[in-house]
Amino acid sequence: MLYIFQILNGLGLGMIYFLISVGLTIIFGLLNFVNFAHGAFFMVGGYLCYSLVALTGSFWISLLIGPLIVAFLAWVSEKTLFHRIYHLPHTFHILVTVGIALILQESAIIIWGPIGKNIAVPQELQGVVTLWSFAYPVYRLFLIAFTIVIGMILWFLLERTRFGALVRAGSESAEMVSLLGVNIHRLFAQTFALGVGLAGLAGILSAPIRGVHPFMGVEVLGIAFVVVVIGGMGSFIGALMGGLMVGLVQSVMSTVWPEGASLMIYGAMAAVILLRPYGLFGRA
Amino acid sequence: MAGPFVLPGGSNLAVAATLVLLPLILPSPTLATEILIFAMAALACNLLLGYGGLLSFGQGMFFGAGAYLAAIAMIHAKVGLLVALLTALCSGALIAALVGALAIRRTGIYFVMLTLAFNQTAYFIAYTLDGWTGGDNGLLDVPRPPLALFGHIFSDLGSPTAYYVFVAVVFLIIFMASGRIIASPFGSTLIAIRENEARADAVGYNTRHFKIVAFAISGAITSLSGALYAMLLNFAPLENIQMSESILIMTVIGGAGSLLGSLLGAGSWVIISDILADIWPRWQILMGGALILVVLFLRGGIWGGIESLLKRCLNKKER
Repeated sequence: MLYIFQILNGLGLGMIYFLISVGLTIIFGLLNFVNFAHGAFFMVGGYLCYSLVALTGSFWISLLIGPLIVAFLAWVSEKTLFHRIYHLPHTFHILVTVGIALILQESAIIIWGPIGKNIAVPQELQGVVTLWSFAYPVYRLFLIAFTIVIGMILWFLLERTRFGALVRAGSESAEMVSLLGVNIHRLFAQTFALGVGLAGLAGILSAPIRGVHPFMGVEVLGIAFVVVVIGGMGSFIGALMGGLMVGLVQSVMSTVWPEGASLMIYGAMAAVILLRPYGLFGRA
Repeated sequence: MAGPFVLPGGSNLAVAATLVLLPLILPSPTLATEILIFAMAALACNLLLGYGGLLSFGQGMFFGAGAYLAAIAMIHAKVGLLVALLTALCSGALIAALVGALAIRRTGIYFVMLTLAFNQTAYFIAYTLDGWTGGDNGLLDVPRPPLALFGHIFSDLGSPTAYYVFVAVVFLIIFMASGRIIASPFGSTLIAIRENEARADAVGYNTRHFKIVAFAISGAITSLSGALYAMLLNFAPLENIQMSESILIMTVIGGAGSLLGSLLGAGSWVIISDILADIWPRWQILMGGALILVVLFLRGGIWGGIESLLKRCLNKKER
């Protein structure tokens, strides 16, 4: 019974990781941009959830507005800063986004204080569902269902719409797409906002379970990179499978040996890079 | 990074003069010692990043390993100061060579990710082995043995000033040795690899071999600085391993590709943190901003800026 509980937990956690990683991977795929500030935007999402709930009293409003605010922040930073450094080597992307991550993290401490905050599970989703002798929190079930719906919408957006076609074509050759008359700068900014907005959404969804604290961005960034590397940079299905794998390992190991979980996932990442550099689902 | 920077003949002298002036200008010799320790770590990071073009997130692992291993050697094997430092130096070189040998099998972002993965792994290993490392609490009561050779005690290094002098001498040796390494054929080859690895490979250099040696040197120096830091604090915290980012920022802000830059970068980091830590604990926000500004406008860092200013002044005189 305990294992079913852990597996469900792992599924929810894995879907959160999927949302974060898919944003990172789309941005890397299309923009060829390495975003070390991705985790920091996840943290901003979590804190926005806290403030919006405190302000409006409704988790649903924060779920609706929060990701849009994070996406807008990302759009502004892309327009003012990031687009200037796309042409530079990855090293410079890393340095600049590390700087942004540091600024966001310290700003969060200035605004919300160094100690973490807890966010109440929304009224409608409190309590547990009982199936036979097995009880599971409603919010966690909602989380799994909601993220699956978001994942499906995202899949539709990327695979069945003009926007998705442009993103996929741009990942092959951004130059070619721009020569065909597409405003590539707008496409880049939109994709960046979408990817980072997903990280913000993940931050909001995880806030009622794990609370928020200023350093959650750093933690989650490491995990997001593990997921993206295991799944393959730029791969949607890879982010999904990688996210679920990491989520399940962490969740099942959490009762046995929590530090072992971290050792395992970072070890797995090193092994994948060395043995299968394009990831389990990436293309060479 | 910045173009190849040839050490001017006077730079060793300039550093020696700085080492003498530093404790006189600064409010305490301990602060000056801290600057030199981080300057050594930044210098080692610079050898990889500025000269080899290798962005490593594994420097914290070498720093932490040096602190732990020197401390463990002193506590459990009761070794003296020099043997403890030598232990850190050699084990740092060994660990870095191993990590480097694996990490350089990939390039670009995957290389960076590998160094990050190994650093995280090291963190959790240190956390788990709490019998040896003290785990989350860090390793307490790290001794600072007297400076002795063959039974003859030169100094007990008990006072902050005495320890500063010792660290300053170590720093000067490391700085001069690094300058020699950069100026040697090895250094030139490293720069050639940074500029164009395929070409260096085609010319006939075994680029993997050069990168691994660069890692070993960098790891040795970083571990040495970690050991000196543990003796300064009498404490080896677990957070040492998470220092990679700070060391990297010091290096870049000071100037990647110039050894003097590392001293400037570490100096500004330590001094700003010392001044602002009490009145404005969020000072790191400035470092984030400075990092972005350096990448956008001042690729050579603080030292690069000073250098171009000096050049401009000299050119005016000639006219």
